[in-house]
Amino acid sequence: MSEPVLELRSISKNFGANEALKDVNLTVPHGSLIVILGPAGAGKTTTLRIIAGLEAPTSGQVFIEGHDFTNHQPNMRDIAMIFDNLALYPNKTGYENIASPLRIAKTPKAEIERQVHEMAKMLKIDHILDRTPATFSGGERQRVALGRAMVRQPRFYLLDEPLSSLDFMLRIDLRTELKRLQRESGRTFLFATPDYTEALALADTVCVLLDGEVRQVAKAQELYDEPVDRDVAKFVGNPPINIMPGRLTRENGDASIAIGDVRLKLPKEMEHGLPASLSDVEIGVRPEHVRMVGGDSTGAHLSGAVNDLEPLGMHTTVGVNLGGVNLFFTVPGVQEFKDGDNIEMHLDMESILFFDPQTGRRVSS
Amino acid sequence: MPERKLSPFNFVGLVAGVLFAVFPIFWMVSTSFKVRSEWVTSPPTWISSKPTVDNYLTILAPHVLLERRGGTQQVGDESFGGDKDDAVGGAIGDFLNRSAWPGIKGTVIISVSATILSIVVGLMAAISISRYRFGGNFTPFFILAGRMFPPIAIAIPFVIMFGPKVFDITDTYFGLIVAYAAVTVPFSTWMLKSFVDELPPEIEEAAMMDGFSRWGAHLKVTVPLIKGGIIATTLFILILNWSEFLFALILTYTKVQTIPVQLSKYFSATEGTLYGVQAALAMVSIIPLVIIGFFIQRHLVRGLTLGAIKR
Repeated sequence: MSEPVLELRSISKNFGANEALKDVNLTVPHGSLIVILGPAGAGKTTTLRIIAGLEAPTSGQVFIEGHDFTNHQPNMRDIAMIFDNLALYPNKTGYENIASPLRIAKTPKAEIERQVHEMAKMLKIDHILDRTPATFSGGERQRVALGRAMVRQPRFYLLDEPLSSLDFMLRIDLRTELKRLQRESGRTFLFATPDYTEALALADTVCVLLDGEVRQVAKAQELYDEPVDRDVAKFVGNPPINIMPGRLTRENGDASIAIGDVRLKLPKEMEHGLPASLSDVEIGVRPEHVRMVGGDSTGAHLSGAVNDLEPLGMHTTVGVNLGGVNLFFTVPGVQEFKDGDNIEMHLDMESILFFDPQTGRRVSS
Repeated sequence: MPERKLSPFNFVGLVAGVLFAVFPIFWMVSTSFKVRSEWVTSPPTWISSKPTVDNYLTILAPHVLLERRGGTQQVGDESFGGDKDDAVGGAIGDFLNRSAWPGIKGTVIISVSATILSIVVGLMAAISISRYRFGGNFTPFFILAGRMFPPIAIAIPFVIMFGPKVFDITDTYFGLIVAYAAVTVPFSTWMLKSFVDELPPEIEEAAMMDGFSRWGAHLKVTVPLIKGGIIATTLFILILNWSEFLFALILTYTKVQTIPVQLSKYFSATEGTLYGVQAALAMVSIIPLVIIGFFIQRHLVRGLTLGAIKR
């Protein structure tokens, strides 16, 4: 079982002059839950459709269990897919919707009945089996679509933003349930979503797709802590990472960075990782790596004037002006500031990220 | 739903509109029961004072009329005299061999076959245009372009192609079926395309993921879901074929007849146009369409895709 269940080899797709996918490579091991994360229009749906066989790639190959399936029809691939609009059969009951793949496979009637009821019980939708989709609630539709996919034992599952239009609470519920289903069944899921929290909550591995390119394939936490470039860093995290122009200077073996009118000394071990030629940089600071401190001035200190305040219940997002550069960070609980209040902050220097301002790529430290 | 009251002004307007639309039908029904002297009068005769079924007998059973008068009259024998209140008067003999049955038979065979052919071809064209962008933007327009010419412009090449020097299918059922299907395919394609367009393609794609082939998905999923549209289109095309006149007139002679052509033949040298007989045949010819329309009206209701997708 060492062979990956799915492998995309330099898939490209053009729609007219528009390059939807550029040289996409992805390997999906057996039993994994991989999330394709990207904003609307990044090419997530196109990627899934190419895997499903609903769209042909302009170039590149789709390998399923080691065989080239690039030119096979969807029904030859043995993949289940849940569409972003679910695409239930509107003229069929819940039961018939779930039974449909089994009927097409000419499963014996008694077996269909057993499997559909088992699935309905697991998904808690026994009560809607004899109704048509028009009468379902959003969550019920979702579950029927899930049931229709899960009643089969396909090679793997494609899920295209299946939770996108559900209420917030229902989404969290179903997300947890999906993850449990995947763990318990040991099946392979490929899940597309624009929501990074969903991605981080679900995934073993996240594949970030931006502008039709795979930018990074990494474990969820790695993606957050060590994004490969500025775009990935900005896409993952809320409130978003602060990206500020800075200048790196070295004097007498000591390196420091200037952000606005603030100058901060770099720890020795970080300095070693940075290329000697680097001077203009972009500095990425996650909001949670800044915290407010009292008046004393040890460590990496910043001070600035409050110019924005967003109370969010469990924490407050504060915007401060650091001599021309805006920095957002979060403080726990509700904080009362007035615009222009001067506050002191501590910056966790170890977690600063450096980006090349030209290429946007992270300069590793 | 709360009951909505129409203002008197709206009510009067609607009644006027309905009367305007229904009046020709009323006049046809009324005329079909009128005796000859009442067909064209001034002031008009609204309802016959001596209703008769002779008009219907003329088209469906002309020999009954003849037997009623002694049954010996020869074709063209004017000496029999004209009963002023009879449908065909002295010219009865001319109409013995002009019953409408061959026309009815021809219309049924040709319009039903041509409609089926047109719907099958139109459905496949509609799916390939709607789902696979077959022919880009040009083909759908090009298909419709044939309808932009006056029919007679299309008819001339048909006369040539169907003639003895090319296909030699003038005056055959087959020829007229092919001609009708060719002329109505643009309509069926465009009507069916609009129904296919309304159906989210993901439903068919889901069917393919569930294990159907492309053909299977279209036949087992698309077709049932646009059933109402297919039925509505079928009725529309059937009406077009049923009442077609020009092509039937120029592409048939004697072996094949249709009702519209037959209608034009109820004309007598001595009696002029037989309006009552024409009205009777028109009545007979619309009855099947009215019955079909009545039974399928529930299929003409839209909204079949409700609940398929989350919005």
